[in-house]
Amino acid sequence: MSALQEQFVTEARELIRQANDDFIALERDGASRDRIDRVFRAFHTLKGSAGVVELPAMSIVMHAAEDLLAALRRGELGGNVDAFDQGLACLDLVSRWVDQFERAGSLTGQADEDGRAMAERLRSFLPRQAGPPEKSQSAADEGLLPEWASTLIASEREALAPRLPSHPSAMFAICYEPTAGCFFNGDDPLQLIRQLPGLLAFRVEPREAFLPLADLDPYACNLRLLAISTGELEEVRGVFRLVPDQVRIAAIPSEAGGIGLAGANDDERALISKVIEAQAELLRVPNRRGDLAGCVGAAARSAANALRHGEYLKLAETVEHAKALALSQRDAAPLLVALEQVLLAVDVAPPIVVVEDVDARTVASGDGSQQPAQRVLRVSEAKIEALINLAGELVVAKNALAHSAKRVEEELAGRGAVESIRRDHQTIERLVLELHGTILQLRMVPASQVFQSFPRLVRDISRQLGKKVELVTRGEGTEADKTIVDRLFEPLVHLVRNAVDHGIESPGERVAAGKPEAATVSIEASRIGDRFLVRVADDGRGIDPGVIRRKAAEKRIIPPEELAALTDEQAVELIFAAGFSTTSEVSDISGRGIGMDVVRSVVEQIGGRVSLQSKMGKGTTVQIELPTTIAMSRIMVVETGGQLFGISMDAVFETVRVNSDRISQIKNNTGFLFRDRVVPIVALAELMKLPAQTKDAAVAKLLVVMEAAGKIAALEIDAIHDRLDVVLKPMQGLLAGARGYAGTTLLGSGQVLLVLDIKELLP
Amino acid sequence: MTVRRSANGALVLEGVCPVEDAETLLQLLQTESAGPVDWTECRQLHTAVLQVILASGIVPAGPCGDALVRQWLAPKLLPAAGG
Repeated sequence: MSALQEQFVTEARELIRQANDDFIALERDGASRDRIDRVFRAFHTLKGSAGVVELPAMSIVMHAAEDLLAALRRGELGGNVDAFDQGLACLDLVSRWVDQFERAGSLTGQADEDGRAMAERLRSFLPRQAGPPEKSQSAADEGLLPEWASTLIASEREALAPRLPSHPSAMFAICYEPTAGCFFNGDDPLQLIRQLPGLLAFRVEPREAFLPLADLDPYACNLRLLAISTGELEEVRGVFRLVPDQVRIAAIPSEAGGIGLAGANDDERALISKVIEAQAELLRVPNRRGDLAGCVGAAARSAANALRHGEYLKLAETVEHAKALALSQRDAAPLLVALEQVLLAVDVAPPIVVVEDVDARTVASGDGSQQPAQRVLRVSEAKIEALINLAGELVVAKNALAHSAKRVEEELAGRGAVESIRRDHQTIERLVLELHGTILQLRMVPASQVFQSFPRLVRDISRQLGKKVELVTRGEGTEADKTIVDRLFEPLVHLVRNAVDHGIESPGERVAAGKPEAATVSIEASRIGDRFLVRVADDGRGIDPGVIRRKAAEKRIIPPEELAALTDEQAVELIFAAGFSTTSEVSDISGRGIGMDVVRSVVEQIGGRVSLQSKMGKGTTVQIELPTTIAMSRIMVVETGGQLFGISMDAVFETVRVNSDRISQIKNNTGFLFRDRVVPIVALAELMKLPAQTKDAAVAKLLVVMEAAGKIAALEIDAIHDRLDVVLKPMQGLLAGARGYAGTTLLGSGQVLLVLDIKELLP
Repeated sequence: MTVRRSANGALVLEGVCPVEDAETLLQLLQTESAGPVDWTECRQLHTAVLQVILASGIVPAGPCGDALVRQWLAPKLLPAAGG
């Protein structure tokens, strides 16, 4: 995938997400012009970039979506909720395409069909009379340029700037696509262009790539003529009066800063400055801690949008970067600094000139001391993974070095070199551990990454169920390891679905119970010590412990006498037990064949715990407690006596196959000579009290030489399986006191793997 | 006929080049001895002729006699811009 395509994928995702949010907000809060404009711009940019990476299906859909938005802005749709549904469905489709494009670099033929169908559905909401020629005109009326016009202006900007009259009268972008047979009609398209009142730019391009000369039909017109002209609309239209069906004319708004034409437009710049100043002002107000992410996000978005509006693209990017930094540091300061810098840049220069300047300025400030680290580097996850793996290997190598250092110490006791090696080893050990820790920090991401999908989810479900639900998210800036945040998604989806489907009552029931008609579901992230807490709460009907008891008894989740002994609080937690589901009928929303037990198992897989409190009539809160980082252990999976065990790679020294003739019997024990040292052999099956298996003495033994707590021994095993990076879960419940185990982990197959504590086991 | 082959093999466009010149020019361009195209004396180019030039990818020699083409289109015919 080329850099351009990668950028497209990243940007498209961001735009889709933003459009999604705005769409939902539009539906919820009503159509504000500002918001429609924002969605419109997102769609517009998507359409444009789809053209760049050659995804015609996507361009078609986005075009239809733009028409829909234009109608919405003109107030022609009213509160047509189905139109919102289609708008969101359109974003879903585009989102799937982006995924597909990322995987395959192109779209399948199906995409064209889907795209056309979607475009038709979107257009079905439009008032009937809007025919194609009207459309371009109406877009012009709206002050929004059709894409071809913006592209034309962008590509001709350099040529345009010097030619621009200081106070241009009305300007028009013209796209003239003569029919293939126009020459036979006696048309000479160039002749029409010559008649334009004030040509400012003109280009000719093939509509489709030219055929080789041998196949070229000189009398079939395959050209598109693009021009920008000043003059009166009537005058311009008059030129093309005989070919109205072949030409599109778009008025370029006179306050053309919007497309960067009038680069030196002072009013525009003043306006942009004002917007940014206002954002900076807002950020300076000490804010309530919890709302920081929202404040920073809103300020950055407004500032960046204003900048983009004025074609200060690089500056907008600077603001976006600063936003990310501010969110990650949970401090508005980086954004504030960036805004102040950007203000300076906007004040001194018009956009056309400023692009390079600003770049230089930002780079310069990078090595200056005033604004350290205000740029954010975007690095692919794969690279970070590679770095983490390398750091992990380094830790293993460091362990090996410890061993060597100790041997040197033993063998060369008293020499000066020993001291220096010990010192160096300690330094390296400290640095490696620090490096490892720092690299793990790279993976920390804010909870907002997972929260951002929920407004849409809640909207869709509540609409489907005819319930009114308000979603509140808090603590989006709380950070945790990316794996944890990513893995959190599935359980959260399940919890939120459950809350809306089962927890929240119908509006009628709520009113009857004296509650507000609209229910509240909240998702909240926080951090306590090194634990990452996520709470999903609803103010619904709560869970009836009686119902849970009855179901648990029916399904024999636990024996009746144990069930009877449970308190109500304990009883409701049975909802997490495997095979438990409170609704008997499978609903489309939450009954997809998985129950709350899945929530628990996923959470436990990433080393977390889940708990639940519920009050009848008041609501339910589920709390997920997770580590902020995943403490990964590298283990080797070995098999003995038909069972699998994990052993920590840190303890493994070497794996060897030893023929029986190298094994000697010393009293009751066996041992073998390994690097000039007699190493006792211990059969793991025996240690684990597994049934002894008779073995052919002639077959070489597979041994893992291990060292732990100063003891060295060789474990005899039957086979070695994978080496894995796993999250160790400490032994819990009845097993908490079991000795000899470092913990458990889940294998990909779902099987529980016992990881041995070699220190305890070695004799 | 406003398109002709000069003594040195160049294809010369002269005066007002009408639509028919497109076919003539195309044929001449396809002959093996096709030389450079000279449009300095062409006062007005028909769109069809321009299309043949664009499709051939060649860059005619000298400034075009047709002001519209000279000012707006010829600069984009420079090798870097392709045809």
